Amino acid sequence: MAAVLTARAVSKRFGATRALSEVDLRLAAGERLAVLGENGAGKSTLMKILAGVYPPDSGAMTLDGRPYRPGSPADALAAGVSIVYQEPSFFARLTVLENLFVGREPRAVGGGVHWRRMRSAAHDLFTTLEMPVDLLGLLMGELSLAEQQLVLIARAVDQDSKVLILDEPTSILTARETDRLFGLIDQLARRGVAILYITHRFDELKRVADRFVVLKDGQLAGELPAENADHDRIIELMTGRALERAEPTGRGGVSAPVLELDTLTAPGRYSDVSLTVGGGEIVGLYGLVGAGRTELALTVFGVLKPSRGRMRLGGRPYAPRSARHAMAQGVAYLPEDRKTQGIFPSLSVGSNLTAATLPRLTRRLGVLNTLKEDGLVGTWIRRLNIKVASATDDILSLSGGHQQKVLLARCLATDPKVLVLDEPTRGIDVGTKAELHRMIIDLARGGLAVLVISSELPELLALAERVYVLREGAVAAEFTQGAITEQAVLRATLGAS
Amino acid sequence: MINAVESVEKSTTGRLVGRSGVLRHGLLPLLLAAEIVFFSLASSTFLTTNNLSNVVINSSDLAVIAAGLTLVVLLGGIDVSTGSMLGVIAWVVATLSQHGTAPVLVIGAAVLAGAVLGSLNGGLIAFGRVSPIIATLGTSAIFSTLLFLLWNSTDVFAAPVSPLLGTGRVGGWPLVGVVVLAMFALLSYLSRQRAYGWHVYAIGNDREAARLLGVKTTRVVFVTYLVLGGCVGLAAVIYAGRVGVVQASSGSELTLSAVAAVVVGGTSILGGEGSVLKTLGGLLFVAVLQNGVVLIGVPPLWNGVLVGVAVALAVWLDIATRRGKGRRR
Repeated sequence: MAAVLTARAVSKRFGATRALSEVDLRLAAGERLAVLGENGAGKSTLMKILAGVYPPDSGAMTLDGRPYRPGSPADALAAGVSIVYQEPSFFARLTVLENLFVGREPRAVGGGVHWRRMRSAAHDLFTTLEMPVDLLGLLMGELSLAEQQLVLIARAVDQDSKVLILDEPTSILTARETDRLFGLIDQLARRGVAILYITHRFDELKRVADRFVVLKDGQLAGELPAENADHDRIIELMTGRALERAEPTGRGGVSAPVLELDTLTAPGRYSDVSLTVGGGEIVGLYGLVGAGRTELALTVFGVLKPSRGRMRLGGRPYAPRSARHAMAQGVAYLPEDRKTQGIFPSLSVGSNLTAATLPRLTRRLGVLNTLKEDGLVGTWIRRLNIKVASATDDILSLSGGHQQKVLLARCLATDPKVLVLDEPTRGIDVGTKAELHRMIIDLARGGLAVLVISSELPELLALAERVYVLREGAVAAEFTQGAITEQAVLRATLGAS
Repeated sequence: MINAVESVEKSTTGRLVGRSGVLRHGLLPLLLAAEIVFFSLASSTFLTTNNLSNVVINSSDLAVIAAGLTLVVLLGGIDVSTGSMLGVIAWVVATLSQHGTAPVLVIGAAVLAGAVLGSLNGGLIAFGRVSPIIATLGTSAIFSTLLFLLWNSTDVFAAPVSPLLGTGRVGGWPLVGVVVLAMFALLSYLSRQRAYGWHVYAIGNDREAARLLGVKTTRVVFVTYLVLGGCVGLAAVIYAGRVGVVQASSGSELTLSAVAAVVVGGTSILGGEGSVLKTLGGLLFVAVLQNGVVLIGVPPLWNGVLVGVAVALAVWLDIATRRGKGRRR
């Protein structure tokens, strides 16, 4: 097949960092190519160069056999290369219809916006993609994350793209929506659109890609057809080493329940949830997006109030009034969205790390004891092996995985009895992921009660001794280690008998 | 897509019967009606043609500023230099008129001067990336000083340059109302029917997302402040004719009222949501309030308090009833 898009010896530097060096890429019409790599391997940089966000420092690209040098994202779009970013970027207070057409408004005679043509085009588009047409009139911000993602993909699809770049599109989709997305990708590939697909999920590879390439440290580390998608081989290519698997068995005994939830109910969010987490135990919470997992975690952390039911902490009644109150009683929460709920992007690594511990680091009148703070920061940087030159470095200079370690350290520095982790390794490369898993297991060995929310079943299988499955806000099943199988959990999750 | 269908139902009901929806869209008409009923009961002169046309004339310069300011607020920006900018241009208008300059030239010079001063704000904000509040606070101080220097202890008297931009009436109704409505129609058309206006809304929602879609964000921001400057120029012509004299601090009282008209009208101070026509409602509320309290004998000194309270309440309501951020899943 003829190549639609090629890149030859593309390189890019940011200051002293070599983000990409001499990368070659060839994409045929109708081909589905997955791009893998650890965070910081250069995937995003490559995508952004293809999409016209940055120019390459050197190297050449062609599109349909002609030189391709987009000067801006708009150039790239006009040439037929569209992209859906991992962080969905859209206009929350405009309607879905308006979101579909911003930047490419159809013009009427006289230069005005052609509303009627726009409406009918959007109607046709949604009908073709089997998306509910009623969505068009709603504000984008009123949709769920998954719906927003599908709208953005619909927008990209509608631009007669020759190449569609998708940056980890399934990380926020439910299983059913993921299926719809894959169906859409197949449909597009059949129409001759070349798909470039970034993912961290190995289980998707065979389903979604014909071929995949692995990037490592800005260079092409390997290229394989999807049939040969052997997990261990890919991980070796990505990390340059064989993966050590976290070993879930053979841990110490579980002590009495530390956190107990008894028929906890918050209307519209979850109902009659009862569960326990023992000291030294890791308990998993699985379910589809929207099943009420995060809402439950926020309740334990005092942010949401249950309307019925009771909680107990260390055997005593526990009714947190606020996050601050919850922390004071020994509950720590690692939120699921690192960027918007976790880090303070303009602060240093050290300030981010101590943000939850400041009251303990002050002298009289609230003056910060900086010596004590530095000591604490140093300790945690060593203990969690955070890769940073100095604690005063910007948090944003760290890779996603190491930012997550800083946030974990922030939780641990509060000296909690119960640790609630919400998607602790989402969007984190496999190497750091395994490291985080080992840390979580070590923490449990040390007696901490850990509740892990994850959308990745393998993660829970590797970590948890027990897994609760939430479906539509209610506990659908509880599995203890030994009885946890992927099939059984999925069956409970989807409500299939 | 069961998920999607469910949330369509949820969000549709949320929009139609939700408490916040009613507050956001239904409150202003109610308040406006209550206000008009109250003042017509409290003052026998309120509901006369003469008084109502006074309301229109007295708020016409404010109206033209507020129309332009709406675009800036939709963009996610703000301009607190409009009043002092108007003062400077009004001085120019009055001075030119005194020298017998042709009305067309006076109007042209005023709009041009406004565009120049507006592009000073626009340049600082669009190209210099200075935050709008700081940039316009700074230029506001500069404009005030400039007016003080120009004024040089001499008040400049002026008559309306044209009946259309002054106190001219047909059958008791003020002609300047036509100019105000034409400006609102024009800016409303620009904001809803032209790609430029779409880009204003898009930038107010998410500037970076707009840039990535090929919207020329810097240019749109610059042009919007320039357009507001042009509006202020036109408003200055009306102001000079209406007030009849330009003094050391002329115009400064309009800055807050213009912001009030925009936010009371329902355009979000955070940008991206609202409309030019909504500002017409907010303007009516502010103008009637300012007129009515004088009629019932409240000292004009209290105007500032009333407008200040209106702004604070409107912004509070906007934040408290904000849609489209909460339901993330």
